[in-house]
Amino acid sequence: MNSIAEHIADFLKKYPPFDNLTFQELSEIATSIRVINLEKHKVLFQINDVLHDSFYVVASGVINLSVIADAEETLLNKCYEGDIFGLRPFFAKNNYMMTAKAREESIIYAIPIAVFRPFVANNSEVLDFLLHSFATNTSNPSDKENLRGKLISDNVYFSNQQSEMQYFQSLTYNIAPITATASSIVQEAAQLMTNSLSTSVLVCENNLPIGIVTNTDMCSKIATGRFPITTTLDKIMSSPVVTVIENVSLAEAQLLMLKYNVTHLCVTQDGTDKSAVKGVISEHDLIVAQASNPGVLIKEIKRSQTPKDLKGIRERLTELIQKSISKNIPLSHVNNLASEINLAIIKRSVELSILDLGSPPARYAWLSIGSQGRKEQLLTTDQDSMLIFEDVTAEKYRDVKDYFLKLGKRTTAILEKVGYGYCTYGHMASNMLWCKSLTDWTNQYNSWMNTPGENSNQLSSIFFDFEIVIGENKIEEVIENVVFNNIKNNTLLFDFLGNEALRKNSPLTFFKKFNVEEKGPNKDKFDIKTRALMPLIDGARLFSLSYNLRGVNNTYLRFKQLAITDPRNSEIYLNCAKAFLTLSKFRTMEGLKNDNSGQYINMQELSKANKEILKNALAPMDELEDLIKNKFQLTQFS
Amino acid sequence: MLDWIKNINKEYPEFWKLYLSKFEKKSNRFVVLSTETTGLSLEKDVILSFGSFSIINNSIVIGDSFETVIAQYKFFHENGISNEFTIETKMKKMGESEAIQSLVEFIGNSVLVGHHIDFDVEMINAALERLDCGRLKNEALDIDVMHRKLLDINNKQFSLEELCDIYKLPKSDRNSSSEDAYKIGLLFLKLKSRLGLN
Repeated sequence: MNSIAEHIADFLKKYPPFDNLTFQELSEIATSIRVINLEKHKVLFQINDVLHDSFYVVASGVINLSVIADAEETLLNKCYEGDIFGLRPFFAKNNYMMTAKAREESIIYAIPIAVFRPFVANNSEVLDFLLHSFATNTSNPSDKENLRGKLISDNVYFSNQQSEMQYFQSLTYNIAPITATASSIVQEAAQLMTNSLSTSVLVCENNLPIGIVTNTDMCSKIATGRFPITTTLDKIMSSPVVTVIENVSLAEAQLLMLKYNVTHLCVTQDGTDKSAVKGVISEHDLIVAQASNPGVLIKEIKRSQTPKDLKGIRERLTELIQKSISKNIPLSHVNNLASEINLAIIKRSVELSILDLGSPPARYAWLSIGSQGRKEQLLTTDQDSMLIFEDVTAEKYRDVKDYFLKLGKRTTAILEKVGYGYCTYGHMASNMLWCKSLTDWTNQYNSWMNTPGENSNQLSSIFFDFEIVIGENKIEEVIENVVFNNIKNNTLLFDFLGNEALRKNSPLTFFKKFNVEEKGPNKDKFDIKTRALMPLIDGARLFSLSYNLRGVNNTYLRFKQLAITDPRNSEIYLNCAKAFLTLSKFRTMEGLKNDNSGQYINMQELSKANKEILKNALAPMDELEDLIKNKFQLTQFS
Repeated sequence: MLDWIKNINKEYPEFWKLYLSKFEKKSNRFVVLSTETTGLSLEKDVILSFGSFSIINNSIVIGDSFETVIAQYKFFHENGISNEFTIETKMKKMGESEAIQSLVEFIGNSVLVGHHIDFDVEMINAALERLDCGRLKNEALDIDVMHRKLLDINNKQFSLEELCDIYKLPKSDRNSSSEDAYKIGLLFLKLKSRLGLN
């Protein structure tokens, strides 16, 4: 006899699958329950944790189930009172595939699998429910709505984030629709539509839309013989017509068409049918709009033959970026997208050069470094690259090196024509210093990393941000291994990099004013690149090297990943990640406005509110700086 | 000369000796304890019921529990109180000595947790004295003290209801020692994590 067990049994009785069990059975189960209290943000289990011996029921509070991909936490589901989760141990042996974290202080019941299993085996309804919960794998939001409160999926699904982007695009549509009056003859209208290759005709009175006749109407009402072709339009038109305002977005248009089950929308001045007709949106316009999405750009890049083609595409990318930013699409998404397109452009440039020069005499890897390598190049800033070719015999070496230098020169020239300026420091594959064999590169990294600061080839930290564009992945892996092998216990290197990160001038003066340029062509402007972005980029690189984070090159994602790897300081990292996005946005907007790299922000043009936002985004830098000073003893080079 | 101490030892009942022997090891088990008494006097009043759960690894183990109603027919009779509840209840009933003995066996060397636990402990000690036993040796934690420590309040005591309100515990209309013990257990888990005790 255990009165609390009975209370818990009473609670469980209200929720599936427990409602299939008798009170007696539930009391028995409740007796073996453990009650756990989770603080806010406390993690119950996370991805790759070994399976627990229990599954869980939320008694009060909210538990978030999420997966982590690309260092971004994606919420899969929220569990409320009575929801069950953590069913994986029932059906699978491998570790957890998701993270369960308390969104607010929560109390949960842990039900031991061993105790519950017999009830599952004896009760097919319970088994069905659990199986269903576990296997529910739907990305259909309406399905999810139906399942709410009953099923919590334990499987992982993603919707492709990039596809969201297109829905914010604005539409281009026919702004000179053909119109007719209610008394027009159907045959004439059909002729008009055929002549102008239109799929609809608007029926207007005093330029106000009263109805629409589409291909569908022609088909279902005339071709079926229900009306003669001599009848008037008002007999067969669909009325009233669905009207929308100008500048409607793709998403909205799509929604309206679905909602009213129509194929055409009439655009009017104020969005009602009591104002002048401005145009017609057809389903076809939606398809066209969807076709000018990033995926199509990449396809076009693959097909382009000349630098000029690529330049055109790069300009369209700029347009897309501008549009996305003005529509407030998260910058991390825009970054992802732009980097994919940049990558494709560089890859195509190399390919075009190879088409000219003939196929390469040895295997190689073309790596983007710097901002391109970090995948955060939104503006057409300068190009940085390096080329590694496999080791060849001594007699072949000259020819091979010669070929790859030519390849480097040609490719960088193409990229220059596309709009990426040459790197002022010559960090490009066309430079014989940065176009060499794998052994040379390995030695180069070894000497950089073991004797930093002593080298004639001054180590530029951008060589730690690389991303393969084209060529052998294995070569990139080799270099990556060289880097991470050299990192172990390499205090000297961290000392050097730490000082590099701290050496930048502070963004604010002692009086908390912006530290603007004092002379030169950019007098009175704020150097957002060196004073604000670089310290964050350097800091992110420094920490991700020291925490051995492989394969994360992006500053934003590095901070996000660091927040997961080093939870004690997660707040600082997350603030930095946010600040980085804000600052990048400022830089990008400035760059788009002036068609340059956006390095210098014109403070006079900044509104007071924006100045505050900018100033706030500079705050996390101090914390990051302290963290660097604390973690790495910076003595040798300071 | 010290024979009298040995003699006292010899007088202890078996269960008490067993209890004392458990303290050779330290326990990582907490036991939440709630008692219901007839009043606040250690001499005149008696315990009516116990409700108790164990807490292991930061979770309340529902199965590891002890609850009983103590049949105090003699006390009721002397004070002219009706025995109705004790007779009617479907809960397990024990005589005082049997209940105290079971409780002592249940708690063992665990750390006791309660609301104003000192009083509970003293009540049990008084009952133990009637059984010719010594005093409880367990460490005891008071959630009211924990709460005041968390907020740095010295001049005020909090009732269990107030604490439940502050920490937003779901209210229940049922009232029993077990119910209270369960609430104390949840409060203890919350306070423990907030105070950073492990």
